[in-house]
Amino acid sequence: MLAAPAWAQDAQSEADEGRALFDEKCVVCHTNGGGDHIGPDLAGVLDRRPREWVARFILEPDRVIAGGDSVALELLKKYNGIEMPNAGLSAEDVEEIIDYLAGTPGAAAQAPPPRAREAQPPPEMLLAQASILYTFLAISVIIVAVFTFVALSTRGPAASVDIARAYQLRRVLFVIALILVASLLVATMPQSPYARAGTTADRVVYVAARQYEFVFSEEPIVTAEDIARSRRIASLELAPGELVEFRVTSLDVTHGFGIYGPERQLLAQTQAMPGYVNRLIVRPERTGPYLALCMEYCAGGHHLMSVPFTVESATPVASHRPTSSLTAN
Amino acid sequence: MHTTQSNTYPGTVGAAEAVAPAREVAAAETQSTIFLWMLTTVALFVILALLGIYMRLTQGGALVGLRSWFYPMMTLHGVGMAGLWFVGSMACACEALRKHVRASSAVAVFALAGTVVGVVLLLVSVFLGRFAAGWYFLYPLPLLGEWPAWSAATFLTSLTVLGATWLIWSLDVLRAVAERYSLSNALGWHYLRGETEPAVPPAVIIVTVSMIANVVALVSGVIVLVLFYFELLTGRPSDALLMKNLTFLFGHTLVNLAMYLALAVVYDALPVYAGRPWKANKIVAISWNSVLLIVLLAYFHHLYMDFVQPGALQYIGQVASYAASLPAAIVTIFGALLLVYHAPMRWSLPAVLFFLGLLGWAVGGIGAVIDSTIVANVRLHNTLWVPAHFHTYMLAGFAIIGGYFYHCGRQSAKADISEPIGRYQAVLLSWILAGAVGFLAMFYWAGAYSVPRRYSGYPIELAHGTTYALWAGIFASIFLLAAVLCLIDVMGSWRKQAPVRADDRLGAPSPIGAPAAARAEE
Repeated sequence: MLAAPAWAQDAQSEADEGRALFDEKCVVCHTNGGGDHIGPDLAGVLDRRPREWVARFILEPDRVIAGGDSVALELLKKYNGIEMPNAGLSAEDVEEIIDYLAGTPGAAAQAPPPRAREAQPPPEMLLAQASILYTFLAISVIIVAVFTFVALSTRGPAASVDIARAYQLRRVLFVIALILVASLLVATMPQSPYARAGTTADRVVYVAARQYEFVFSEEPIVTAEDIARSRRIASLELAPGELVEFRVTSLDVTHGFGIYGPERQLLAQTQAMPGYVNRLIVRPERTGPYLALCMEYCAGGHHLMSVPFTVESATPVASHRPTSSLTAN
Repeated sequence: MHTTQSNTYPGTVGAAEAVAPAREVAAAETQSTIFLWMLTTVALFVILALLGIYMRLTQGGALVGLRSWFYPMMTLHGVGMAGLWFVGSMACACEALRKHVRASSAVAVFALAGTVVGVVLLLVSVFLGRFAAGWYFLYPLPLLGEWPAWSAATFLTSLTVLGATWLIWSLDVLRAVAERYSLSNALGWHYLRGETEPAVPPAVIIVTVSMIANVVALVSGVIVLVLFYFELLTGRPSDALLMKNLTFLFGHTLVNLAMYLALAVVYDALPVYAGRPWKANKIVAISWNSVLLIVLLAYFHHLYMDFVQPGALQYIGQVASYAASLPAAIVTIFGALLLVYHAPMRWSLPAVLFFLGLLGWAVGGIGAVIDSTIVANVRLHNTLWVPAHFHTYMLAGFAIIGGYFYHCGRQSAKADISEPIGRYQAVLLSWILAGAVGFLAMFYWAGAYSVPRRYSGYPIELAHGTTYALWAGIFASIFLLAAVLCLIDVMGSWRKQAPVRADDRLGAPSPIGAPAAARAEE
C-alpha cells in the first residue's frame, strides 16, 4: 500500500490535532454532525459562515458578542443565552480545529445514526419507588386523620384531660417509635450502596464528568487532556448480570452520575467530585437502553448532560461474586 | 410556683402564667421592628413565590422563551426563600421572647438593615450578573460557571453580609437570654437535675438551643466563604469534600433551625388560643437538648451519594436523621395535640395556621425521614422528592409565621383575638390548602418517578416530568393568589381597632378554659 504524500500527511496530522482539541475544548457544547447540543452542531459550519468569521468567533467569542455582531447575538438568543466562553485558544489551535471541521467525513458520518428518541407515556413505577411513595402517603393519611380527630374534639364542650393517662400513652408511643426506628436502621443500613472491601467487579468503567458531558473510558481520566489520550468508550455496552464498577470523578465542578434503567427511573447513583473517585458497583439485570443523567446541578447546561448506554443480552455473565445494587425493582 | 412534671401539662392552669410575666420589659421600637419584618417578609415571599411558579411553568414548557433565566431565578428563589424563612422565623421568635428577655433593639434594626443590604447584593448578582450557582453554591461551581467573576464575588459578598449580620443577631439573642436566665437554665438543664425553678418558657429553651446551633452553622458558613475568597485571591483550590461538608453543616442546619424557631413561636402563642399553658418540664428539656446534638449531625444525609465520605459518617447521618424525628413526634407534636385535645379552643386565623403548620411539619418530616434512609436516598437523591418534602415544611413554617404576624397585629391593635376564623378567611384557606396540596403532590409524584430536580427542561425520556411541572405551576398559582389575599388580611390585622373584652386580652385566663383547668388539676 502506497504511503500518502507528505502534504496529505501534514493535513491529516493537523486534522488529528484539531480533533483532539475539539474533543478537549469544544465537545462539551458542540457536536460535529451529532446534532445541536448546548451550542449548534458544527458539521458544515464552513458552508454557512465565512472561515474568517468562524476563526474569530472561536478565538475571542466574548469580544465578538460584546461588539454586537448580529450573527453572534442571534446564536446567543437561539441557544438560551448561554454565552460561548473564551477557551484561551491560540490562532494555530483555532486553525487546527477549523481544519478538522472542514475535513470529511464528520463524526456523524462515522457514527451510527442516533437512536430515535420519542416521548413515551410514563412507565409503570418501579417497586422500590412505589413502596416509598405509598408508605409516605399511608403515613400522611394517618397524620391527617389524627390531626382532624384532635381538631374535631374541640367542637364539643371543653373537657379536662387525664394527664397521667396522656403521659402513659406518650411512653407507649415512644417505645413503639424507638423499636420502629431501631428496626428500620437495622433493616436498611446493611443495604447501603457503598463498595465493600474485597469486591472485585467483572468490568471496570472509568467515568469522567465535566460541564456538560460524561466520558466513558477504559483508563482513568484525571485531566481534560487525558480525554484525547485515553481509550475512550464511544458506545458503552454491558452484559446483563455483569458486576460493573463505575469509577466516577469530575474534571471541573461536582456532578451527579445517576443511572436510569429501561423503565426510565433511577436505579443507582453517585456523585462525581473533583479530586475524588466514587466507586459505584452495580449489576444491571434488565436488558435495554440505559441513560446516565447528571444529578447535581452544574450550571447552564446541566439538564442537557446525559449519556446513553445499553445492556445487551448477547453475552450474559455468570458471576458468583456478591451482588450489589441495580436490580430493577 | 413550684411545678412538677405531672401537673404542668395542658389543662392545668390558665394561660396567664404561661405568657403574661415580664411583658413590661418590652420596648416599643421592637414592636415596630416586627411590623417592618412583616412587610419585608410578605413582599419578598410573594416575589420569590412568583419565581417558583415561573420555574415550574418553564419546566412545564409554558415559558420556553424565558428559559435562559431559569437557573439565575432558581438561585434567587432558593437563597431568597431559605434566607427569608430563617429571618421571618427569627423575627417572630424574637418578638415572642420579648416578654421574657431584653434583646438589643439596635441589633434588631441592624439585622433588618443588614438583611436588606445582603438581599440587594444578591439581586445585583443574579439580575445583572446572571449568577446561577444555586442556593447552596456547591464548591467550586461559583468559580466555574458561565457568569462573570464579579457576579460570583458579589454573591459571596452578599452571603458574607447576611451571615455576619445573622451571627451578630444570634449572639445578641443568646446574650439577652443568658442575662435573664443563665445559659444552663435557658437550656433547661435545671429541669434535668429535677429542679423546677426558675420556670423557663419552652420558647426560651428552643430559641437558646437554636441560637447555639445557629452560631455553629454560621461559623461553618463563614469558613466556606473564607476558603472561597482564599481561592479567588491565591488560586489555591480547596478540598471539594471538605467544602461540601461545611456547606451543608451551614445550609442544612440553618433551614432546620428556621423550622425550630417557628415551633418556638407555636409553643408561645398556641396556648393563648387553647386556653391552656404549655410549660417546660424535664421531657421538653431532654427533647430540645438532644435536638441540639442531633441537628448538627443530621446534615451528613446530604452526602450519602458521596461514596468517599467515611462510612461511619454516612451511618451517623441516618441515625441522627431518624433520631431527630423522635423528639419532634413524641414531644412537640404529641404535646401540641394534647394541648388542643378537648381544649376550649379559639379557632381564629392564627390558631388554624399554627395547627396546619404543625400538620405540614409532620407530613414533610415523614418525607424527609424516608429520604434520609440511605437505601431510599439512592432512588430519591436530587430528584423532585427533595423539594417536595422541604417545600412541605417550608410552607408549614410560613403558615406559622403568617399566623404569628396576624397574632401580633391583633395584639398591637388591641383587637379581639378570640374572634373565630371568618367565612372569607376559611374560603381563602381552603384554596391555599388545595393549591398547596396540588403543587406538592406533583413534586412527590414526580420525585417518585425519578424526575431530577433543578432541570430547566426535561430530556425526552422523562417528558412526563413536563406534565407534572405544568400542573404544579397551575396549582402553585392558585395557592399564591389565595395566599396574597390572605396576606392582605394578615397585614390588615394591624389596622383593625375592634373593641376587646377585658377577659379576651392576651394572657388573661380563659373563662372557658378555667373549669377544664380546675378539673384537670384534680
